Amino acid sequence: MAACVAKNPLFPFWIAAFMVAVAIFGASIPPLRYLRIAVPALGFLCTSALSLAVSINFHDGAPSLSFDGNQSVIIQVCGRSLAGLTSLLFLALTTPLTQIIAMLRLFKIPDILLDIMVVCYRTLFVFSETVHETVTAQSARLGYATLPGSIRSLGALAANLTVDVWQRSCALNIAAISRNSNGSFRFMEQSFSNRTREVSLSLTIGVCMIIIAMVVS
Amino acid sequence: MTQSTSDSILALNSVSYSYPDGTPGLVNCSLAIKRGSRTALLGANGAGKTTLFQHLNGILKPQKGTVYFEGNPIDYGRQGLYYLRSRVGIVFQNPDSQLFSASVSEDISFGPINLGLDADTVRVRVETALESVAMSEYADKPVHHLSYGQKKRVCIAGVLAMRPGVLILDEPMTGLDYQMQQELMNVLEKLHNDGMTIIIATHDIDFACQWSDILSILEGGSCAGSFSIDEILHNFDLLASYRLGVPAVAKLYRSLIDTAILKEATSRPRNTDELIVQIKSTAIEHGKSGFNR
Repeated sequence: MAACVAKNPLFPFWIAAFMVAVAIFGASIPPLRYLRIAVPALGFLCTSALSLAVSINFHDGAPSLSFDGNQSVIIQVCGRSLAGLTSLLFLALTTPLTQIIAMLRLFKIPDILLDIMVVCYRTLFVFSETVHETVTAQSARLGYATLPGSIRSLGALAANLTVDVWQRSCALNIAAISRNSNGSFRFMEQSFSNRTREVSLSLTIGVCMIIIAMVVS
Repeated sequence: MTQSTSDSILALNSVSYSYPDGTPGLVNCSLAIKRGSRTALLGANGAGKTTLFQHLNGILKPQKGTVYFEGNPIDYGRQGLYYLRSRVGIVFQNPDSQLFSASVSEDISFGPINLGLDADTVRVRVETALESVAMSEYADKPVHHLSYGQKKRVCIAGVLAMRPGVLILDEPMTGLDYQMQQELMNVLEKLHNDGMTIIIATHDIDFACQWSDILSILEGGSCAGSFSIDEILHNFDLLASYRLGVPAVAKLYRSLIDTAILKEATSRPRNTDELIVQIKSTAIEHGKSGFNR
């Protein structure tokens, strides 16, 4: 929010640096691990920044590159994205998703969105476990020893996963029905012992950042 | 033909069911489950155990025949199924097919919330269910961080939190190590002592004979027979006729009788502990009468 409010195009970069510092020094996330997780997203960000800054022109059939556009706006957009990215990484690296979902439930986010989040989060691990088991079984029988074999194995893996996911979704549906499900996934609200203190603290920090962003601008 | 009687909590009367692809699930199956009993359902893979369980919980509806609950035919209307599923809980074989919530306590709360209970009651039920399967310390853990045995216990807790009168477990011992099996046996023993009717599908004849009161055999989708454990445990001909194999305790007991080490007792041992008691008491008798060991 502070990054969006700030008119100074460089301010979002300071927010991003602050969030990285909090994650590494405050939450003790190892810098290399942080970098490894951030690299794919940073790659997307760089590609987007380049596509904003650089244009490809064709003159007499020959392509040429030109740097155009409002550089200040481009820097601001990239800064905001970077600030958003680092904030999101801070949240993902410090808070279990189960607690995020529970918190969202407290904030009365629509059930349908939370149901999707819950099922995706749970099935993600079941899915990755199935992939791992299938790949191990295929590798044990030299499934990936040659290029044609690898392509064949990959195809078999995709086919197997399709059927497996379908069967698992049927089984989950039956299990839910057997426990009197009426279609929506309703769960107990989690209790947070220091909820008031933590919500007040995060609101204070957030508001402070927004005020600083406006003042600096 | 099995009729629903006053002491049977669940009964199937000539039930038949075929899956949409034509595979027969149940074929003229009749069976009665006695209230408060421990019933072991034995059958080969594909014999129809899971199909039978899904009929008992109202997930599947028989194409022929009738399923009775508490003496009355099951009402497949909304209210009837709601009542049936709140009274009959199923723990499926594969825990990953049953657990869909992000955390352990959330998953266990799913059933009680569907029963329309208030938040405080749900919380108490979740805590009690977790205690009963010794998983309290894992309440806030994500499900994917649990071992197979722990997931299985969470599945059981998820059903126990609904406080059903009948608990159905599909192959509960599969994938559990010895320690976990013993712990699960203790949980089941406690539930049985509290008056719960328990039905277990298993391949393990030793476990079935040790744990259950009644042994029902499923063959090709129909109930081939139901026997009390005393009736079948030491009856080798009967066991052979159903190709069940011979329980280790029965085999050992017969050998000890045949070699005159033990005398035929009026009460035959159900498990190795009971057999050891008989061997010890015989040894003491032999010691008194000057038997040279």
